Amino acid sequence: MGVTDGGNAGGSPVPPFVSVVVPLLLLTSLTAVPLVGPGPNIIRLLFVTLTLVTASVGWNLIGGFAGQISFGFAVFYGLGAYTTALSINGGIPPVIAFSLGAVVAAVASLLIGLPTFRLKGPYFAIATIGVSEAVRVVMMNVPFTGGASGYRIIDKTRFVQSHHYYTALALAALAVGISILVRRSKLGLALIAIREDQDAASDLGVNPFIAKLIVHALAAALAAAAGGVYARYSLFIDPDGVFAFRNGVAILLMPIIGGVGTIWGPVIGAFVYGLIHEEVVANFPQAHLLIFGSLLILIILFEPGGVVGLFQKFMRSIRARSSVGAHS
Amino acid sequence: MAPILKLTNLTRYFAGLAAVKDVSFEIEPGGLVGLIGPNGAGKTTLLSLVAGSLKPTSGKIEFEGRNLAGAKSFQAVRAGVARTHQIPKPFRTMTVYENVEVGLRFGRHEKAAGTTKKAGEFLDMVGIAPLARRPAFLLSVGDLKRLELARALAARPTLLLCDEICSGLTETESGLILRLLCDIRSAGTTILYVEHNLRAIMSVCDPVIVMNYGQKLAEGPPTTVQNDPSVIEAYIGKKAMI
Amino acid sequence: MSAADFLNLFIAAVLLAGVYAAMSVGMTIIYGVMKIVNLAHAGFLMLGAYFVFEAYDRFKIDPLLGALLAFPVFFFIGMGVHWLLVRRIATSDQPTLTSLLLLFGVWLVLQNLGYLIWGNSDRAILTPRTLSSLEIGPISFPTVRLAVFVVAVASLVGLEFVLHKTWFGRSVRALMQNKEAGQIVGVNVSRTAQIAFGVGIAFAGAAGGLLAMLYSFNPDFGASFQLRAFVIIVLGGLESFGGVAVGSLILALAETFVILILPASYQPAIAFSLLVVALIVLPEGIAGLWAKRRRWA
Repeated sequence: MGVTDGGNAGGSPVPPFVSVVVPLLLLTSLTAVPLVGPGPNIIRLLFVTLTLVTASVGWNLIGGFAGQISFGFAVFYGLGAYTTALSINGGIPPVIAFSLGAVVAAVASLLIGLPTFRLKGPYFAIATIGVSEAVRVVMMNVPFTGGASGYRIIDKTRFVQSHHYYTALALAALAVGISILVRRSKLGLALIAIREDQDAASDLGVNPFIAKLIVHALAAALAAAAGGVYARYSLFIDPDGVFAFRNGVAILLMPIIGGVGTIWGPVIGAFVYGLIHEEVVANFPQAHLLIFGSLLILIILFEPGGVVGLFQKFMRSIRARSSVGAHS
Repeated sequence: MAPILKLTNLTRYFAGLAAVKDVSFEIEPGGLVGLIGPNGAGKTTLLSLVAGSLKPTSGKIEFEGRNLAGAKSFQAVRAGVARTHQIPKPFRTMTVYENVEVGLRFGRHEKAAGTTKKAGEFLDMVGIAPLARRPAFLLSVGDLKRLELARALAARPTLLLCDEICSGLTETESGLILRLLCDIRSAGTTILYVEHNLRAIMSVCDPVIVMNYGQKLAEGPPTTVQNDPSVIEAYIGKKAMI
Repeated sequence: MSAADFLNLFIAAVLLAGVYAAMSVGMTIIYGVMKIVNLAHAGFLMLGAYFVFEAYDRFKIDPLLGALLAFPVFFFIGMGVHWLLVRRIATSDQPTLTSLLLLFGVWLVLQNLGYLIWGNSDRAILTPRTLSSLEIGPISFPTVRLAVFVVAVASLVGLEFVLHKTWFGRSVRALMQNKEAGQIVGVNVSRTAQIAFGVGIAFAGAAGGLLAMLYSFNPDFGASFQLRAFVIIVLGGLESFGGVAVGSLILALAETFVILILPASYQPAIAFSLLVVALIVLPEGIAGLWAKRRRWA
């Protein structure tokens, strides 16, 4: 894919000052939101969006950096949701419950990754579709977690919306932090090399299997944490909800909308998706897939780099124009 | 002295056709060995087998005494074997510098190699230092070839496999690369050099191995090989002999 | 289980395999010529089902005829989609993720169109044929399955004819084997690709119509069959038409006979599991195994 890399290729058109200040501003304003009293609906919307940010940033680690497009991340989201739900009902404190979900998902990602990472691009994608649906069908039939009728969390603590909100915000910030660390690390270099040309990467000493397994586990853990945080908020989960194929689709769509393979693309994409989703579901519930499908088509055809790609083009054209102006 | 690379009856089939068949030869450490042959002779396949990009159907590959046959290419790199590709395979969205960094950071372990060069030095060696910050997809073919070499060198190999590193380069550029190969060899790296350009090979390599139809035809110093009738026949055809 | 029961099940599997083959061959053509994995196949299966349904419901056109009509209709739809969208993306010798995602987007759109136009209630096509069956001794063939099988096989035979006797067919086979060589020899790649896409979608639409005669359907209809089509072409080897036949038979047999062991609600999992297993164990499909055998000989 024509992926624009938020890395150093050609020099980032954004001055470093901006790339530090803007995120800090974003974080501060998000932290301040509950304090200015905007009403529970807005907080709920932002809460959901923040869990989406985590899942989106997580997916981007394997799908964006490493270029392994997985349609099956609903599995990890769902595993996180169910593990958290079961743990909380078992009396385990929430943060540990989220972590347990992350661990379960990481293990699952190894089981899934070991056989499927041998497959090239589209075959891997198809395999992930198969796995995702198989898990959903199994969860629908397993009586221990309630099967198709779902599972209820009995949360003995009082419901304070801002707790959930800040949990989601902290998790999202953590996710972005992990994303930045990975991107700048030796692992990040390996992943991009794998994405660009796995054989050439291997020919230079990169072990693609280990790299993919590691990042897959990280990504799965983040998606699971997002699922867990969501589960604790909504108190009811069912296989058709959390393991639904369309969840995997959404998780994939967000980074693509925002700019797959970049650091902030998944964040932007999650916000765009979260807001559109909310608007669409409210006003055009029937046109949900139509809108996102068309969006995907348009992005693929015209700007595979997503919002970040558009922005980079815009910045470059400004630079070009200003340098032309200086010479005339 | 024990050979650094020893191939014994190396064979590789693709769907019933032998791309490499029963090839055996040895390379002494510090050698600059040329591998020539007409198109389709199996030279690149042979390189791929030694580098670990392909698995042999049968036969042995002994590198510094260890059996490499069946090892994956990243394992071969750790052992000290690196290759360039006939058609360059750059990491397109990375800069030239980052491309070399991959080789540097994942290549043979620094302690084992005994050197601590930086990525920029490898760019200097091949002459593309000014392009360091340029994304690889913008490079010309000639520059890409040199990037291939810089990348492979950054992995600090003891055995460097070069696949047609001069094709697509001008006379001057080729000359520079050939001198560079000699320098690298003098510094202690053994080189197995596949090339189509006969003059290039004959000028720097000794010995020269000739392949055709997957098999080894001849082996020896350039002048001997040049005058070997089976080699001439392979390149020009039987009729020319009459 | 008596011999007659076994035979009945076996025949049912074979009849099903015929439809499965017609359902999958569309993906094989598109993949073989353009190296594109058509994730929108499901959407066209679904549209085909509704096309035949509407033809029957509004115009009283016999569904079998409707399915045959679907061929030309969806052929043009396919060519249109190619012209509008598919030709704009780069393709290569390897399947690209761009094409995968593009067609995935198309599928999402088609699914939604289905919901918007027809709602999400189940429909079915019921004709006198649906409930009758043909009895030969102890074996009974449900008539509708037999009829569907005949149409499916006839269309596959027609495809074989086209592939071997027309310029288009020759171009397709050339491109499937070696795109560059085909270009050198003068095959018009873009034209062949467009027509191939049209043919692939034509088969999707018609197969959808045929399937609609056997199963009830709603806009989600295509998804489970698409997965089955994946299994079939992966089992059979992505680019082999013979492989499609073999893969269809294997899947149909597995699904038919597994009911003896597992409860029906697990049935969708059969296709998924077979898919994952097939991708892992047989990355080149059965055709790949066959090619390997020749190598050792």
